Amino acid sequence: MLELENLHAGVSTDGGLAKAILNGVTLSVPAGQVHAVMGPNGSGKSTLSYVLTGRPGYEVTQGSATLDGLDLTGLDPEVRAARGLFLSFQYPLEIAGVPVMTFVRTAMNAQRKARGEPEMSAPDYLRKSKTVAASLKIDPQMLSRPLNVGFSGGEKKRLEIYQMMMLEPRFMILDETDSGLDIDALRIVAEGVNALRAPTRGMLVITHYQRLLDYIKPDRVHVLASGRIVASGGPELAFRLEKEGYDGVIADAAL
Amino acid sequence: MTSIDELPSRRVEGWRWTDLRSALAGHNPPMAEGDRHVIARLAQAAGRMSTRVVASGESSVEIERLGGAALDVQALEFDVREGADLTLIVLQAGAETALSHRKIRLGERSVFRQFVLMDGGSLARIETDVEIAGAGATVEMSAVYLAAAGKHADLTSRVDLRAEGAIVRQLVRGAARKGGRGVFQGKFHVGREAQKTDARMKHNALLLEEGAEVFAKPELEIYADDVQCAHGNTAGQLDEAAIFYLRSRGIPDAQARAMITRAFLFEAIPDWLDAAVRTEAEGRIDAWLEAAP
Repeated sequence: MLELENLHAGVSTDGGLAKAILNGVTLSVPAGQVHAVMGPNGSGKSTLSYVLTGRPGYEVTQGSATLDGLDLTGLDPEVRAARGLFLSFQYPLEIAGVPVMTFVRTAMNAQRKARGEPEMSAPDYLRKSKTVAASLKIDPQMLSRPLNVGFSGGEKKRLEIYQMMMLEPRFMILDETDSGLDIDALRIVAEGVNALRAPTRGMLVITHYQRLLDYIKPDRVHVLASGRIVASGGPELAFRLEKEGYDGVIADAAL
Repeated sequence: MTSIDELPSRRVEGWRWTDLRSALAGHNPPMAEGDRHVIARLAQAAGRMSTRVVASGESSVEIERLGGAALDVQALEFDVREGADLTLIVLQAGAETALSHRKIRLGERSVFRQFVLMDGGSLARIETDVEIAGAGATVEMSAVYLAAAGKHADLTSRVDLRAEGAIVRQLVRGAARKGGRGVFQGKFHVGREAQKTDARMKHNALLLEEGAEVFAKPELEIYADDVQCAHGNTAGQLDEAAIFYLRSRGIPDAQARAMITRAFLFEAIPDWLDAAVRTEAEGRIDAWLEAAP
């Protein structure tokens, strides 16, 4: 489903030159699977999420990234979203003056329009929103407030999952969704994520800690270091990382 | 006829960003004698000056539309008596040159509310001059200005506080495109007799494109020692990180920019505004945002 082949990417600077951050990432996430990407600070985890979703200022210099055979590089972020790509942000942004409900409905209908589908009616939207909000224990009043403005870290993360469940993307990237969440919130959020697991969907879970993977069980775990995947394995690799730290696992991989 | 020399040049402090002499050079409008404000004297000579009294305890709402003619000049003077309540709504659009001056004198415990929406013109200036003469007055002034290519939108205001215990709130939001120019000049003058004043001024502008201009001069001049006064002034570009966030959810770039700008400008539309005027104001801002830059 998601295929990364020798992906090199970096941040473009004013001179147009890129500071290399990803140095040849090769990764394949088949439909129906959840893969975790773990790695130390500065290894390129967030860059990977921005490169895949097309954030301006990030540039692919070599290699390829495809979703169901569609070359993602060079597509606008909104086109990628309409094709079913979703990023749950590590730091969700505050959007003053735009209520959550207005925002998500606008996004949903923009995606539908791009795909040539009819808009979702207001009553249908409200019905779905009510169910999703209840499952995430989100106070319905929060949905009338400006997006993320004055929300706590945990509320923002919950709202990311609310958006994800409303938009029903085909491929999801969760960038450190566990940071800022207490144990109960983590469980609720993970249940939301798990509800979206399906044979037709794929997921990339970026995290520092093994803890999140107790709740969202990955099929494969990859270790990202210095912009490359240096080790891959089953869920047991995450436990090994927790015990031995990144240094040990990365040193072993270098041998 | 007015000799150009009688008009303030750009060397005059309050006119350095708004070139009145060039704007009026082709018009040769007559100007009345006297020591009134220059726009008031132009309006007086053009027969577009009126003076009104809002009697004690009464309430008055006025809608002023500007921009009907190539040169539209008008001036209004209001004497708002004790406990009276005045609401002014100023809607300016489409004039080549629009100049408007209003002077409001506030009595004890009177209330003055104002909302201005302006699209600018080749030169447009809306001036508000408030004198707080009685204790315990309330002033709420909001404005939105939109400066597209070739448009000049100038909002200039002065609040003279000469009595104690006034509450003043001013919020101005503006947006300028390439080749458009916004001007905000706001002054609160808090005299020695204006103890217990609580006054806040805020001006925030968005420069939507390279080549947009906004000039701002917020001023507080305070001679009383027991007051709360604050002003905030910003001019900047849209937050690209926020734009990416919206786009990553599937909202196209232009729509994302319009959505954030809209929300920013709508914050200066006051809650007290009548529903019909609100609909008109919102519609005009939306149309401006949708118009091709």
